[in-house]
Amino acid sequence: MAAVCLQRLPVITADCSPIEQRFKQMMQQMELEKSLLSDHELRLMEDAERMSRKQGNEYDSDEEEGHGDQEIMLAQDLEDTWEQRFKSFQPAPRVRADLDKDLTSVQRCLADSLVLLAEQQVGAEKLWLLPQAAWQEGETLRQTAERALCSVTAAGFKATFLGNAPCGVYKYKLPKATRTESSVGTKVFFFKAILADSAPGTAPNTALLWVKKSELQKYLKPAYMMKVDRFILSL
Amino acid sequence: MNHVFRKLPVTVTQQASILSPSLCRTTPSIQHPVWCTASVGDREYKGMPTHGIGRWKYLLPRQAPKKKKDKTQMKQMVSATDTAYGTLNVKVSGYDMTVVEHYSQYIHNLCNRLGVQVAESYALPTKSTEVMLMQEQGNKMYVDAVLKTHQRVVQLSSLNTSLCPIFVDVLLKNQPEGVQLSVKEHTEADFQARFKARPELEGLIAQINQ
Repeated sequence: MAAVCLQRLPVITADCSPIEQRFKQMMQQMELEKSLLSDHELRLMEDAERMSRKQGNEYDSDEEEGHGDQEIMLAQDLEDTWEQRFKSFQPAPRVRADLDKDLTSVQRCLADSLVLLAEQQVGAEKLWLLPQAAWQEGETLRQTAERALCSVTAAGFKATFLGNAPCGVYKYKLPKATRTESSVGTKVFFFKAILADSAPGTAPNTALLWVKKSELQKYLKPAYMMKVDRFILSL
Repeated sequence: MNHVFRKLPVTVTQQASILSPSLCRTTPSIQHPVWCTASVGDREYKGMPTHGIGRWKYLLPRQAPKKKKDKTQMKQMVSATDTAYGTLNVKVSGYDMTVVEHYSQYIHNLCNRLGVQVAESYALPTKSTEVMLMQEQGNKMYVDAVLKTHQRVVQLSSLNTSLCPIFVDVLLKNQPEGVQLSVKEHTEADFQARFKARPELEGLIAQINQ
């Protein structure tokens, strides 16, 4: 059996903790104090100086050389136009509380990485697992994982698999009722993949959830959770 | 000047006495200054007792002299085997130079920690992009901003297939904003692209070939 661990990487940066914020402010202040004046700031200063000289009594416009262009468009005017454009720009909201609560949406919790879970029929019961499929003769385990993604989710997710080698394994023994001569239990190999685009084409037929690592414990069985926990990075 | 002359007869007589004590029996001991009669036979070296104490280059293996005219050769490209990828180029590009450089340093340090061998770590030339906007009143485009794209490449000589998904996952999770990451295989063309084209040389070669 092979399963796929499909992850959606964070879209926006995580918020800084209080210490990080204070450090960031301090570093910005230090860099500002140590830095040299930029071209724009030098131009501002020159223009201000020229304006003050113009207002003065002894002003001879012939003495000013080569500043014809700059007198038409002052640096201060440029700054004002930039300020206005900035004010008219509306960025999208970073955190949307309604989306965060909706576990089935891909857009929830943009600052964390999410893992896809599917509810699958294993033996007699329905369990929440990473999407898995049985291995067939003649295909590599990675192809099985790709098939698992397409068939179980049926939602047309475009994913990039990170490598041919599995990142984790979970083995369990089947209950005595279902054991046959050849198979006592199953091993499930996990493959990592990254979600490429966030818009699934068709509606999925099985129940799908996007969960953060901290919420995984509520849905997975303890033994399974222990093995899966080891390879899902929460950075 | 005087001390030089004073030392010369001392050393000459001492050397003579070391090499052939039998011959020097004839030399009168009056020529030896008083202060070195005791240790004449023990000294095996000339000058200071610590003469040549710092010599170490004779211990190193012999190196062929480096010719300066060698063209910079490409490091040997490793080809992919069943268990490892070949030479890979991890390219980091973005607009903010400090962020790009720090991220490439982070990748390099991560490779050192994980035991992945880093062949080379170099920077490609910066590309300047001019953002031009249409003027509101007229038809002319005017320059709004100049954006510079910086690129840094970390070349890995080989990457174990079992390590690859973990490595790439860590890189992706730690990717800062505004930075693009791409992992590709290294080719001869990539190496040649780093050099500047020399049109005169190419013109002369074409002429010779004709």
